[in-house]
Amino acid sequence: MKSRAHRFKENAAAALANPVLQASMRKAKGKFVDKRAIAIREIDDFEATREAAKQIRNRVIENLDLWLEKFEETATARGATVLWAKDGAEICRHVVDVAKRHGVKKAVKSKSMLSEEAGLNLALTAAGIQPVETDLGEYILQINDNEPPSHIIAPVVHKSLDEVADLFAKTHHTPRKTDIPALTREAREVLREHFLTAEMGISGGNFLIAETGSVALVTNEGNGRMVTTLPKVHVVITGIEKVIPTLEDLATLMRLLPRSATGQSISNYVSVLTGVKRPDEPDGPEHLYFILVDNGRAEVVGSEFQDMLRCIRCGACMNHCPVYQTIGGQAYGWVYPGPMGSVLTPLYTGLENAIDLPHAGTLCNQCGVVCPVKIPLPELLRKLREKQVERHLRPWFERLAFRLWAWVASRPGLYGLGARFAARYLTWLADGKGSIPALGLAPEWTKGRDFPAPEGKTFRELYAEKKQ
Amino acid sequence: MTSRDDILGRVRARLNRNPENAAAGRAAIEATLAMRAQGPCPAIDSQKSALAGRQQAGTPPLLERLVEKSLAYSSTVDRVGTYAEAPAAVARYLAGLNLPLQAVIWPALARLDWAAAGLTVDTRGAEDHDLVGISGCFCAIAETGTLMLVSGPDTPASVSLLPETHIALVPASRIVAGMEEGFALARAELGQLPRAVNFISGPSRTGDIEQTIVLGAHGPYRVHLILLVQE
Amino acid sequence: MRPRIGFAAIELLEAAGCEVIVPASQTCCGQPAWNSGDRAAAAQLAKKVIVEFEGFEYVVAPSGSCADHIKNEYPVILADEPEWCSRAVALGRRVYELTDFLVNVAKLDRVPGSFAGRVTYHDSCTGLRSLGIKAQPRALLARLPGVELQEMSGAEECCGFGGTFSVKFGELSAAIAERKCANACATGAAAIVGGDLGCLLNIEGKLRRMGDHETQVLHIAEVLTAKP
Repeated sequence: MKSRAHRFKENAAAALANPVLQASMRKAKGKFVDKRAIAIREIDDFEATREAAKQIRNRVIENLDLWLEKFEETATARGATVLWAKDGAEICRHVVDVAKRHGVKKAVKSKSMLSEEAGLNLALTAAGIQPVETDLGEYILQINDNEPPSHIIAPVVHKSLDEVADLFAKTHHTPRKTDIPALTREAREVLREHFLTAEMGISGGNFLIAETGSVALVTNEGNGRMVTTLPKVHVVITGIEKVIPTLEDLATLMRLLPRSATGQSISNYVSVLTGVKRPDEPDGPEHLYFILVDNGRAEVVGSEFQDMLRCIRCGACMNHCPVYQTIGGQAYGWVYPGPMGSVLTPLYTGLENAIDLPHAGTLCNQCGVVCPVKIPLPELLRKLREKQVERHLRPWFERLAFRLWAWVASRPGLYGLGARFAARYLTWLADGKGSIPALGLAPEWTKGRDFPAPEGKTFRELYAEKKQ
Repeated sequence: MTSRDDILGRVRARLNRNPENAAAGRAAIEATLAMRAQGPCPAIDSQKSALAGRQQAGTPPLLERLVEKSLAYSSTVDRVGTYAEAPAAVARYLAGLNLPLQAVIWPALARLDWAAAGLTVDTRGAEDHDLVGISGCFCAIAETGTLMLVSGPDTPASVSLLPETHIALVPASRIVAGMEEGFALARAELGQLPRAVNFISGPSRTGDIEQTIVLGAHGPYRVHLILLVQE
Repeated sequence: MRPRIGFAAIELLEAAGCEVIVPASQTCCGQPAWNSGDRAAAAQLAKKVIVEFEGFEYVVAPSGSCADHIKNEYPVILADEPEWCSRAVALGRRVYELTDFLVNVAKLDRVPGSFAGRVTYHDSCTGLRSLGIKAQPRALLARLPGVELQEMSGAEECCGFGGTFSVKFGELSAAIAERKCANACATGAAAIVGGDLGCLLNIEGKLRRMGDHETQVLHIAEVLTAKP
């Protein structure tokens, strides 16, 4: 997927000016947050479970090469084929090759963020293979001219019922309806036909289990089960960081993932899929491929950003983020929105290509405290900002401003003088009123709010006067 | 260089891999796999039987918890004594919903006398036109109200997926505390994992359109558990 | 900006029996530089603060984010300079946010002010999530008999200030502040109270732009020392 992350500011402004998106975000706000808060109370010791999950993920990442070899060995032993992809283009090549090998005309897809990274649907279409998204949200996006998702688990959270109603009527040539169960039923009927006729199922993978060579797939709709039960070929596309050691570890992580994501104690369907179907088995794929993807991940191993590789893609950080809640996910410009996206996008697509994202957070740490694997997201954002400064990627005037400010702040006399001048200037600007509607020196501040007028003299002046 | 070697090579470089720490790392992996350490497991109790702690399979607190959580996940639950009573319970349930007394069933359940209860059954994997699917379960997870099904020639996965109504027979002795116990049972009884282990908690659902929960997204609209309390 | 807050903090500390000194040479703790990725500037100012303040028994800041920056970030900023780092750690042990200090160290039981009316309290993010400032300001407000605390929904949600975020993404920052203001105003409070000036400027600026010139926006120290 082509990144638009370098246009974050414009994207955010457009999102703020989009009334439908604003209404949808207001409606959605807090729903996942409230449900999560209730669901985590079922866990006797939620903090201990988070800590255990963090350890599980760290254990693998600290020896990632060896765990990958182990997974490859166990998965292969069960009849799967393990392929490796350096980048999105290689994912596309592998999938198209596999499709051609097995005479595939149509592929049904369960949600895979990696396929978004790769822009897989375009590549499949170009190769004459029809990709069909089957997650309801992803399907809605696909029929809306391949619109990008705005959330990793609720891809159409930004869309209104009316938009979906219009889209279905137009695409399915059916009478327009605004009853959500009826719309869902309509999608079910359209997609059921695709499930039954597709020769290939493509899925992501929530976890790869080294012990058994399995992939764990988590869905509520059941589309994950469909694409891995009916077609004769199943292709799993996952990042190399998704390995976990054992089934016990899966049990621990499953106590956190659905609760953190949607506030459910468990998702409706959790499938642990291993190898291909037995000859005497009536259903299941005859061919299973794993595509293990780097696309920037290998470089994060062993770096100061390694904590980010623990991410289990629950979306809790974005659900709780004040910025995400205000502009939705598409403004972030690439596959992953919210705080996790603001860390991943610069790491995977290049620091210089997502210059605003590390700054697109208030460092309020709401994301950090809800992260089920304890990723210190604000700290990682701050480190990315530091990298930008080190690599001279920040605008010259900003660098100059900080240098100047630090220089002044190291000189108390000058600093006092500056503060005194600023207080006088702002008092003059306020002109006897309580606040200042437009500030030449900080125009961004007064775009959407006033600047409260200072009291006149500075604390230092008054304190010095008092002391005398 | 293959992509595999390239990717693994870069990961190795970043982790400062050398023969010594590779050997130590592999030993650590084998130890982790052998130990199968469990994370913190919540106590399984229920409003009806407030016995704290993890319970032995089949004990009343597990059964009550399974019922509570299944209902919370929009499943319905019936209780009968034995397998022999299950076909009549199925017929009652279907009649109550005005559904046809016709179903696709797991081959593993073919030995039950379905005809005596007035049911016509097909013993095979499910097809699109099947309206009702009847399965057993490998075990059930009390903690979350979850059915654990494993695929196989006699237990096809499609039966619990394609039909709009899924009915599952759950012997009380097969109710375990958590996923950990379910996996332990699978290792003990099956050796290696079968192709598909499916954990099912209620009917399929979606909340994609304006976060409004709708049952029956792609899988069943209804999941009905028939608990076999004497089995 | 708000000298009143500084004097109110001094008054509260003196009421708790402390001798208060404000070093004439103090400027800024350096947090804006650190959060903007300028490690060198952050380290320069951190050293200056350490030198100025390490001689005192306690260091109290009327701001959760400044206190947290000195307490928890200085050792990180100076991690590569072991001697400075240990001085930072030693200083950090004695650094407190104002309400935390008043409640848990100085054990202030009578607050000097008198304030009457309904207020709502905004929990500033850094104080709340890094220093655990939640019960302390409420305990202090409870000591003012005329104060009725009405909690707003989302009291713990960010107001959208975020330091340099507020001037980098002005519209976005103000849009977040709008939610905070709406939640606060829904309580019917006469005053929105908080513990960090940045949040207060943001909230007040948004309220005034929204045309609300009535609701007061006050630092907790101002409320606790208010004169009738």
